[in-house]
Amino acid sequence: MRRAAKLLLAPTARPFTIMAGAILVLALMDRGTGYFLTLGTVFSVMQLFGTLGLVALGLGLSMLVREFDLSVAGIVGLAGCIAVMTGAASPWLGVLLGVGAGAASGVLQGLIMTRLQLSSVGVTLGGLLTLQGITYVLSENKTIGYPNVAVALELNAPIAGLVSVRSACALAVFAFAALVMRYTHIGRDVIATGSDRRASRIAGLNTDRVIIGVFAASGACAALAGVLLSYGLGAASPVALADVLAPAAAAAIVGGVSVAGGRGSPTGIAAGVLTLCILRSGLSAIGVEPHVHDLVTGGILAVIAILDAPDLGRRIIAWRLDVAERWQQAVARTR
Amino acid sequence: MTRSALNVGARLSPLGGHRRHLVLIVRLVAGAAIAAFALSTPGFTSPLSINALLNAISFIGCVAVGMTFITITGNIMSLCLGATVSASALIFLASLSVGVPGAFTLAILFGVAVSAAQGMVVGYFRAHPILVSIAALSLLMGGAALATGGQRIYPAGTGLQVFKGRVIGIPVEALYFFATVVIGQFILSWTRIGRVMVMVGSNPRAAIAAGLRTGSAVTIAYVIAGACSALAGVLLASRYSSGDMELGAGYDYSAIAAVLVGGTSIQGGAGSVVRTLVGVLVIAIIEVVLLLRGFSQQLQYLITGVIVLAVIMLHTIRYGR
Repeated sequence: MRRAAKLLLAPTARPFTIMAGAILVLALMDRGTGYFLTLGTVFSVMQLFGTLGLVALGLGLSMLVREFDLSVAGIVGLAGCIAVMTGAASPWLGVLLGVGAGAASGVLQGLIMTRLQLSSVGVTLGGLLTLQGITYVLSENKTIGYPNVAVALELNAPIAGLVSVRSACALAVFAFAALVMRYTHIGRDVIATGSDRRASRIAGLNTDRVIIGVFAASGACAALAGVLLSYGLGAASPVALADVLAPAAAAAIVGGVSVAGGRGSPTGIAAGVLTLCILRSGLSAIGVEPHVHDLVTGGILAVIAILDAPDLGRRIIAWRLDVAERWQQAVARTR
Repeated sequence: MTRSALNVGARLSPLGGHRRHLVLIVRLVAGAAIAAFALSTPGFTSPLSINALLNAISFIGCVAVGMTFITITGNIMSLCLGATVSASALIFLASLSVGVPGAFTLAILFGVAVSAAQGMVVGYFRAHPILVSIAALSLLMGGAALATGGQRIYPAGTGLQVFKGRVIGIPVEALYFFATVVIGQFILSWTRIGRVMVMVGSNPRAAIAAGLRTGSAVTIAYVIAGACSALAGVLLASRYSSGDMELGAGYDYSAIAAVLVGGTSIQGGAGSVVRTLVGVLVIAIIEVVLLLRGFSQQLQYLITGVIVLAVIMLHTIRYGR
């Protein structure tokens, strides 16, 4: 029993345990009415996965090297606008330019961080505001329609009733990232950089190049998410930042990525994203008010942020010692 | 440029003097350029545009003063101050039936409570400040949507004039903002807890080793940020006589932009409320000038973003990392 619990809560297995728990709870809440456990729910979960997954992957990759890429929220909007504006005739050109812009902004921010030795939050905050400004200028703060409706229909067409082309794209990117992180030296270098940057540098690893590469990948992932979303919706507009950042951060954290760096994997992030998507579409499938999922996302994020806090254990020990001491004093006084 | 005795040791770089000259030159050139640009714009000095300027800075200014405290204690920024502004505005409007002082107190208490919870988690447990603020943002948005059902809130009573209109020709909102700046700078420079905040941001390990109560300092920094945001919420609610959760959207980003442009370090431990006032003024002046010269609103966003990025990069010259 205890061994099974240990196995389920091991860092690599925890995201999947949480996901299974979420499915179980929703199935129990559903109580056999049959709204939750249907193929329709699977499809809508995967549609959400296609939107949120790649942003979470980008943010999660930056957290693996102990950085925090706020600019993903800006890239989603910008790449969507670029793709919709340039891809009317040939959708692939739009994808290329959108993803290229995302990767370029990642490289640029990575260069600024490593050359000037600045913190990623500061640089990506500046990047986020700049990218958002560019998006506003390009779109003139209006929703831009995408005339090529055939592409939108094709992207959302179901394959075997479970996934759409759009969510299949996201899954493919996740699979690629998982393979790279597991079987190539790139994955090892990323984890090493995130675990202890100074030691990695002394061991001969060019950590600057790893950081720049990770931010390029993060930008490209977020950009692809934006492009797929805008093509799928047939429109692009400057997005509300909070709508992207909060679920993406929650998904990465639930997926076992630590803000302290060096811990986490693309498969874990995928499980984290799926958990959030299952909660979101599951809750609406069984008829809970739509805004409850904001509360659920925030609650999960808050709990894990507190549990992951470095000083939590120290504070609890200090508090318990304090209580024990007072208890002894009280006992001594009564004698 | 008031550099405190506390952080001088931590920030003194080998090239100190020479780099400081460079920073001074950059600042003077930038200041002169902005002044020349503004004064050469026709209509900038008219009472109408000055009034528009004062109005524009008061709301964001209050939030920015609060954000300064979070940044100085080394916690970068809170992404949830905008939502705090909106939520306190809603509380203020909905509780106006108990009278203006009561509703005002309730709104401020709400902002303080929301921020204090985050401050305690960040200060005592050293949880990641950005994550905590994102969590709080989600909880606030979800909670507010459930409570209001997504409806606009209209005032449940009268007496909003206290927060509107003008005294001796100055908009009341601006007076509240200037009072916030004065009180904020006083707390930061002349109280013990304010000095501890700077110390925590400058070198947290040294602050703990020195036996300072770092947890409570961070918590109080967040409390001040919450109170300032709630004040901005009350002012906004009075101005528009209604509100929803979009009321304060984006104020957190504008506020951190003002804090950084003013020259408060994003690493914490160096900065002041007066610098934030300068930052707020610089951004507002640029926006008004762009508006008067007929540039689009979208271009203002872009220029603000580029300025923030440039200022963050300039910090390297200053602190010589």
